Amino acid sequence: MSAPSVPAPSPRDSWSAHSSRRRLARIGRRVTLYAGLVMGGLAMMIPFLWMVSTSLKTRREVFSSAPFSFPTGLHWENYSNMWFALPGVTFGTFFQNSLFIACMATVGQLITCSMAAYAFAVLDFRGKRILFALILATLIIPFQVTLVPNFVLYRYLPWPFSDSGNWIGTNLPLWVWAFFGGAFGTFLLRQFFLTIPTDLADAARVDGANPWHIFLNIYVPLARPALATLAIFQFMWSWNDLLDPLIYLRDLPSYTTTVGLAFFQGQYIGNWPVMMAGALVSLLPMIILFLVAQRYFVRGITLSGLKG
Amino acid sequence: MASSSDLTSPGSPARQEATPRPPPGRTPAAGSVRPRRGPRAGEERWALLFLAPTLIGLAVLSAGPILATLGISLTSWDMLTAPKFVALENYTNLLSDDRFLKALRNTFFYTAVSVPLGLGLALALAMIVNQRIRGIAWIRTMYFLPLVTSSTAIAIVWLWMYSPTGLFNTALSIVGISPLRWVADPTLAMPSIIAMSTWQGLPANVIIFLAGLQGIPTEYYDAVSVDGAGRWARFRFVTLPLLTPSIFFTGILALIGAFQVFDQVYVMANPGKPGDPTITLVYFIYESGFRNFHMGVASAAAWILFLIVAVFTLIYFRTQNRWVHYQ
Repeated sequence: MSAPSVPAPSPRDSWSAHSSRRRLARIGRRVTLYAGLVMGGLAMMIPFLWMVSTSLKTRREVFSSAPFSFPTGLHWENYSNMWFALPGVTFGTFFQNSLFIACMATVGQLITCSMAAYAFAVLDFRGKRILFALILATLIIPFQVTLVPNFVLYRYLPWPFSDSGNWIGTNLPLWVWAFFGGAFGTFLLRQFFLTIPTDLADAARVDGANPWHIFLNIYVPLARPALATLAIFQFMWSWNDLLDPLIYLRDLPSYTTTVGLAFFQGQYIGNWPVMMAGALVSLLPMIILFLVAQRYFVRGITLSGLKG
Repeated sequence: MASSSDLTSPGSPARQEATPRPPPGRTPAAGSVRPRRGPRAGEERWALLFLAPTLIGLAVLSAGPILATLGISLTSWDMLTAPKFVALENYTNLLSDDRFLKALRNTFFYTAVSVPLGLGLALALAMIVNQRIRGIAWIRTMYFLPLVTSSTAIAIVWLWMYSPTGLFNTALSIVGISPLRWVADPTLAMPSIIAMSTWQGLPANVIIFLAGLQGIPTEYYDAVSVDGAGRWARFRFVTLPLLTPSIFFTGILALIGAFQVFDQVYVMANPGKPGDPTITLVYFIYESGFRNFHMGVASAAAWILFLIVAVFTLIYFRTQNRWVHYQ
């Protein structure tokens, strides 16, 4: 409310003209900023745009016309060709396999990491610091160093329903481990549990609740955002993993999306439209999950990042 | 409520005596509240219960196997016949194996280029998208999208971008440069893979830097602006020093991740061929262990990888005092 005290018309006119010119300049800067940011974003997305546009072209178009041109028609048949490209299985089978493994691994990590995190954040026991340091140390150990002994272990674990009679060739090695804790999840959830005021647990303890009840009825419900973050990350890692499925899965119907896609790529060399359709379909679930739950991804990275 | 806010500052002892409980702000762990008589009765048994899965996992799936790998690395073993003790033979053989040395060189090259490149670009990008404008969340989504993608699918897309008639060669032809062979060219193969990985790895680093940037109090900028500092000075003397904890953290993650590069190499370069230019350490481990079933050789290579990562992590942590400033 800093209107000029003199209500003469002329100064007010010039004042508003001046302010509107300033506003125009500000709008101009804003537009340039937005345009720059969006252009940069589109540049980051070039591989995605390129994938989408190729997946809708014919093979002939891909090799002859200018690659930046829009497809002449929308050749959705690339997607059905991709879906039924391999003998005996569809891409849907790979999806089911990936979904099962990712869900089981996620459930396992949620249960066992939250339990361990509760012990480290709330309970008191001898050797707590050393054990926690040990678990953190496994975070920086390249997991490849455990590859051979784990393979040997799974080869000696019997399984009556597989051809080998052991766990090799089944999807068990890809998710059973998740029911035995994990460094990232334990660390993430412990950090979160530490922020929960102890008054609640103290009050419950006075009322005779045991640690299990306190964990289940107070800590788990309050930690829902952190649990969601862990769930999303574990799901993503399982979904995107290539090396482990490559080692353990032996026949086509048991393949995950990543191994299926890599195999598919070996079979269809040069058929780029169909391959791009496959890549896009395999990425789609994670992209949708990201669009829905972006803040959990961002939170997970910053939470584990800045308190490291 | 008023008294509790008083207590968060190191208050007078007289006042503390008056309060029924020790101030919550000064108790880092629940254990220190109680008199020193060890953990609360029965609590250790509960802790054991909560930690049981983790302890089994640690023993059987991570800590145990690390030692087991060391044991297997001293044998010659094809998993069909009994392992034969060969002492350090696998290690000495590896150090004169051209393919392994190439894998080692490639992995070092990949790490040495991709880590600084990735961090530098991520820092620049974080400063660009660090704007307080409406709709910035939507704009950032475009930059963050590669975060969730699998290296397998992305490598297939980039393989097509690098193909003779792909995006990069078409762009080159527009400016009149003849097409390159990218991943098929021995000298360009590794840089091509690095370019792809850098693109894919950017979002995670950008997110950490963005949080770091937003944690810098604006007063610091105001203070140097009063002194007439320009954009560069503000970056050099405020942003950069205060961001060193984030840079340190992303650095360690990038370093560990870079030594483990596999997916991209597996899909893009298919390094099964003997004269292959892009073989990496993890690919070498995969190939010798799970294609050729030389478990001893694979284990020895894995232990070398482990030692390399451990040594570099240690050195990196040692440098911390020299350049990382905590607020």
